[in-house]
Amino acid sequence: MDVSQYLEIFLDETREHLESLNTQILNLEQNPEDSDTINEIFRAAHSLKGMAGTMGYKRMQNLTHDMENVFTEIRNGAMKVTSPMIDTLFQSLDALEEYTANIQASGDEGTNDNQPIIDMLNEYLKNKGEVPAAAPKEEAKAEEPKKEEAAASGDEAKYKDVAIGETENTVLSAAKAEGKNVYGLTVYVNENCLLKAARAFLVYKAVEEKGEIIVSNPSAQDIEDEKFDFDFSLIVISESKLDDILAAARAVSEIDKVVGGVLEIKAAEAEAVKEEAADSAQQTTAVSKEAAAPQQNAPAKSQSKTGGKPVVNRTVRVDIEKLDVLMNLVSELIIAKNSLVSASVSEGVSGAGFNEQIEYLESVTTNLHESVMKVRMVPIESVVSKFPRMIRDLSKKLNKKMELYMSGEETELDRTVVDEIGDPLMHLLRNSADHGLESAEIRAERGKPEVGSIFLDAYQEGNNVVIEVRDDGNGIDVEAVKRKAIERGIITPEQAENMAEKDAINLLFNAGFSTAKVISDVSGRGVGLDVVKSKIESLSGEVDVQSKYGEGSVWTIRLPLTLAIIQALMVVVGGEKYAISLGSIQTIEDVSPDEIKFVQNEEVITLRGNVIPIIRLDKKLDTESTKGPNENLIVAIAKKGEKLAGLVVDELIGQQEIVIKSLGKYINKSKLISGATILGDGEIALILDANALI
Amino acid sequence: MENEIKVTNADLIVDEGEKVQYIVIKLGNEQYGIDIKYIDNIVRMQSITRVPHVPNYIKGVINLRGEVIPVLNLRLKMNLEEVEETKASRIIILKIEQYGLLGFIVDEVKEVVTLSEIQIEKTAYDGTEEKQNFVFGVGKNDGQLISLLDMNVVCQEK
Repeated sequence: MDVSQYLEIFLDETREHLESLNTQILNLEQNPEDSDTINEIFRAAHSLKGMAGTMGYKRMQNLTHDMENVFTEIRNGAMKVTSPMIDTLFQSLDALEEYTANIQASGDEGTNDNQPIIDMLNEYLKNKGEVPAAAPKEEAKAEEPKKEEAAASGDEAKYKDVAIGETENTVLSAAKAEGKNVYGLTVYVNENCLLKAARAFLVYKAVEEKGEIIVSNPSAQDIEDEKFDFDFSLIVISESKLDDILAAARAVSEIDKVVGGVLEIKAAEAEAVKEEAADSAQQTTAVSKEAAAPQQNAPAKSQSKTGGKPVVNRTVRVDIEKLDVLMNLVSELIIAKNSLVSASVSEGVSGAGFNEQIEYLESVTTNLHESVMKVRMVPIESVVSKFPRMIRDLSKKLNKKMELYMSGEETELDRTVVDEIGDPLMHLLRNSADHGLESAEIRAERGKPEVGSIFLDAYQEGNNVVIEVRDDGNGIDVEAVKRKAIERGIITPEQAENMAEKDAINLLFNAGFSTAKVISDVSGRGVGLDVVKSKIESLSGEVDVQSKYGEGSVWTIRLPLTLAIIQALMVVVGGEKYAISLGSIQTIEDVSPDEIKFVQNEEVITLRGNVIPIIRLDKKLDTESTKGPNENLIVAIAKKGEKLAGLVVDELIGQQEIVIKSLGKYINKSKLISGATILGDGEIALILDANALI
Repeated sequence: MENEIKVTNADLIVDEGEKVQYIVIKLGNEQYGIDIKYIDNIVRMQSITRVPHVPNYIKGVINLRGEVIPVLNLRLKMNLEEVEETKASRIIILKIEQYGLLGFIVDEVKEVVTLSEIQIEKTAYDGTEEKQNFVFGVGKNDGQLISLLDMNVVCQEK
């Protein structure tokens, strides 16, 4: 048996506990008296300690143990929560995260004892609740062994009832003859223990270091399979003292009790008699069991539910790769369905029955796609939950007062997107905290509240998810940006003069641009915003910033809900088929050529009071429209944020569910084209990125 | 005698060095060889979907068993003149580590030859003449010359 099979679970659960500790401790700082929070923290810390112990990570266990002590005191009201204490607790969490990272990387927790943190935790314990803290513990400890000793003679010494086979008996007798000791042990595992097989394994390992395990009840295999209640008995040959072995077994955490004693070995004949007796005893128990069966049935069942493995929640952890495979298969299915539809049209297969079946198939594939997509969706909470802590740290580091307000944490995104979005968001938040928010003096001068506000809002908008990072800080100083850009040689002074504010702000996304006068370790290493932009774009999203100098800025990230399959409007331009994501199309208009007006030498149309620029797709795509100049134009009105634009196409084919395929690494330079899709007849249509056109 | 040492044919063969198989393709009258390890597939010409705003040698993308694969014209890529496609024209699909699957349009696919090291005359790398560097050696097979293509250089974007 090997603990490594539990490693995955351990890492997952440790992370969950750490995350919850982070949030709850933050909460504790706000509401130091809230008993729910304290209990929650205590539970998480306790589980963490237990798990670390089970897996044999001693350093991690020690640290969590001391943290737990602090929480105990807080829970008992013996200690008050203070700000430096919270700091230390956060440091401990960081240390635990480091251990976790080490374990994930190498399977080993590393060698850092984090003694300073432990010392500090103990310092709090000593200073705040010296007498009540230490004394009861000592007492409890002193009591425990007494109890055990007393119990050893009672029913708890189950090792005495362990049936010893003939061969084992010979071995034991031989060992005895050699002057070795034969001990019996019964180990009781804590009933709340989650991984009792792992604990048992550690006990096994500890005992085996001291001697040789001859008999185990239940068998080693059963223990490994967790086929035991909460105790198991061992018979051990050893040269060590009994106390040493008991101590070794007790050192394993979540072991409630270990009772043991020297086992008397009967001579072979005596054994035989005993076996007979045991046999008859077994028979009687069998009979009584049968008699009791009807009554016992019900409790036995309920026990197997509560007893065995605790049911945590009804979820299954699935490898993301398996979901990718599933998603690909769904994509294939949709392509196959599209082929069937187009074949039925081109080959003239008709009849109401056939069409009905096709429609049925269509609704099934659409539902299947949606379900698979939903499976892949996770709330962004897992990413954003660490931000309040980060802002708190930044607030101390930068010596600025600030508060983070979050909303829409439950907004869901594709798992792959959620995994990637953390860093860009973190960067934007740091940026707001560092560059955005002004110092206290300037805020006072401007009549703003002393505490700066940063907002993180997430919400769904059509086929997109929008995440906004907002602050009420300084806003972007456009002139400073221009000066910097000239200094860096990104633009010439002449360009700067004619540059629209919007374009100037976009300079921030240039590689190697940082306006922070002093390079701090918070932000401003000049590798920031361009990385944010390219990361978001690699997720088929976009990032935008709006700012008013002196009032604050809003960074808007727009991400597609799904990466693989979308509803698209199929159009024809210059004889070629293209797909445009339906999410960005508002309406489709029929426009006569004389409705086109010119504003600043650009073609526009007026639609319900809005002046909308029109984009001739044939020109953009280096092809030629098949329509004459006097024919009416088909204009698809596309929307990007607040902006509208009319895309002129030759023909509309209709709406279709399409599977997005990459164009491959060789030609992904074209901004207009976000990918390709395979149509029902096997032909390829390119997908136009309306956002890049507007 | 049973223990007599037999001389097998293998022992008599002169060491010719490593043997490599090449697919021989034609561009005009010239023959080129491509290491068979790159070859994924050879398909007939089919409709190619044009992609706007790409270099002229990229002809577009095709659908190969549900995958979208970029297709390049090998003639244009090697700065040769483009010719009309014929019945003999083929798209050879190569798997290049850096780019994944790529299709190349060639005039004709002739045969597979096995060349051993001694049949290949290496050409010197010339930093000034980019065109020459597509070819890393010339193979001699039955009196015919085959220019062996270094696909990593051929694929490089300009």
